[in-house]
Amino acid sequence: MLKRIIHNRLLIFGLTLVFIIFFAAVFAPYLTKFDPIEINIDNALLSVSGDHFFGTDEMGRDVFTRVLYGAKISLWVGAVATFFSGIIGVIFGLLSGYYQTFDLFFSRLVDGLMVFPGLIMAILLMAALGPSTNNVIIAMIILYTPRIIRVVRSSVIETKIEDFVDAARVLGANDMRILFIHILPNAIAPLIVQVAFCFAWAIIVESGMSFLGLGLPPPTPSWGNIISDGRNFVYNAPWIMIFPGLAISMAVMGLNFIGDGLRDFLDPHLRNVVIRH
Amino acid sequence: MLEYIIRRVLTFIPTLFIAVTLIFVLTRMVPGNPANAIVGVRGVTAEKLDALIRQLGYDKPIQIQYIEWLQKIAQGDFGTSVFFKKPVIDIILDRFAVTFAIAGLSMLVTVIIAIPLGVMAAKRPGSILDSVLMIFSTLGVSVPIFWFGFILMLIFAVNLGWFPAAGYRPISFGFYSWLERMILPVFTLGFAQVALLVRHTRSSMLEVFNREYITTARAKGLSETKVVYKHALRNAFVNIITIIGLSFALNLGGAVLIENVFALPGIGNLITTAAIRRDYPIIEGGIAFVTLVALVMNLFVDISYTVINPRVNYE
Repeated sequence: MLKRIIHNRLLIFGLTLVFIIFFAAVFAPYLTKFDPIEINIDNALLSVSGDHFFGTDEMGRDVFTRVLYGAKISLWVGAVATFFSGIIGVIFGLLSGYYQTFDLFFSRLVDGLMVFPGLIMAILLMAALGPSTNNVIIAMIILYTPRIIRVVRSSVIETKIEDFVDAARVLGANDMRILFIHILPNAIAPLIVQVAFCFAWAIIVESGMSFLGLGLPPPTPSWGNIISDGRNFVYNAPWIMIFPGLAISMAVMGLNFIGDGLRDFLDPHLRNVVIRH
Repeated sequence: MLEYIIRRVLTFIPTLFIAVTLIFVLTRMVPGNPANAIVGVRGVTAEKLDALIRQLGYDKPIQIQYIEWLQKIAQGDFGTSVFFKKPVIDIILDRFAVTFAIAGLSMLVTVIIAIPLGVMAAKRPGSILDSVLMIFSTLGVSVPIFWFGFILMLIFAVNLGWFPAAGYRPISFGFYSWLERMILPVFTLGFAQVALLVRHTRSSMLEVFNREYITTARAKGLSETKVVYKHALRNAFVNIITIIGLSFALNLGGAVLIENVFALPGIGNLITTAAIRRDYPIIEGGIAFVTLVALVMNLFVDISYTVINPRVNYE
């Protein structure tokens, strides 16, 4: 019981963190008087002050402003990628779990996609597609869909042998009805948890790709890009890279806590089903 | 047992084949011709473009390219780098030692730190130490490692001056000068892995602690250390080793970022620069090589099950 309360507290803490970032993303133009892109060399590399909460970068742009606008971009990219991975993953996960002949071939492909260490796969895709915001989203969809497929597939395999599925079939339900009305609701809990983790991971990987110069093209103020800008000034202006990193950690930690909290709340048995990484 | 090992090696081959095919399909997905993308970055005349297309074999039908590519990589020939004008395999072998050292050392550090911590947390679930470790382990997977690398660099190299900030010196220049440049990258990479492994060690140990043979061992009057390390940990190790194997593969991915942060001439840095320069032979060869290493590592992990726990279900 105590544990349940602690984890619920984690869930609430996670939701709070994510809400703060979301609020910053939505109301960015009202929270700052500066422009995220406009260059103002006179103000270059100013330290943290009352005027510039997070200091300024080498082009005189306010880092606080860029981090706020970065929230919008990083959350947007992560959310879109996670959304489409979810949709595609559910469809193929259902088919793969339900039809064994399809699964035989399809699971090999999913395994093949999952053998690449995550970021390496992202680099390969970006090298093929070229750097742009849409391509980052496509790369992440290819990266996360297999993970969603696996989770949905294993729930389907567990559920399809249940009596109520047979009962539905006896009553004359067709495959589509069985899959979407009877089986899918049983896969929802692990799916939601996996989606929360994928969202968290998408934010981290996007920042890593942007940092390497293979993500969102500059001067887009994504969190990874700001850190990448700041890397040449680690010694004399460390604030440029410190604050966006804190923002990433905050968002990702929030999402991880939401994932953990939801998992324990929805079904404690999910511990071994959901793929953390 | 031997049958299991043979069967496991045989399933390794189709997986490798699918992975290699995916690499081929994805790099040839480039809109137009990859040679155009290379030229688009650097600017060359039309004749040179034709020469480049022929040199890379992009003028042939796609299925012929695929078969030729498979034949070549089966012999360890990944083609010639567009930028370095040297065989890709030579460049990879030259660079891989650095990556292997970082990934391997950080795996070692991870195991040394994480397993005792995970065991301690599992011994007293719900204690303060346990809660602190669980929060820390979420933190560990939430912090972007490249950023964490800069923070460590800022603290230990810039402010405290304990280690050089970045750069690499081969081990032949002296062990100490090599090691002091490896410490920060290794600990950066280990941070997230420690978080992951603590979590898994804890949950595997908790599962084992409820077994009857642990009660028996305690009832026999064995010391707690013996119960924990000899009876419980050994049985929990089957789960733990999976995570260790997985963490090596993750380290290979993470090394890409770490090598970039600390300016280390490893394979990750090679692949990233190649991706920016659009040096496709290096991208294909480098990624195929890293994937092969990750797969071989997984194979070893699976086979090691049979040694650690002979009762493992081979089906």
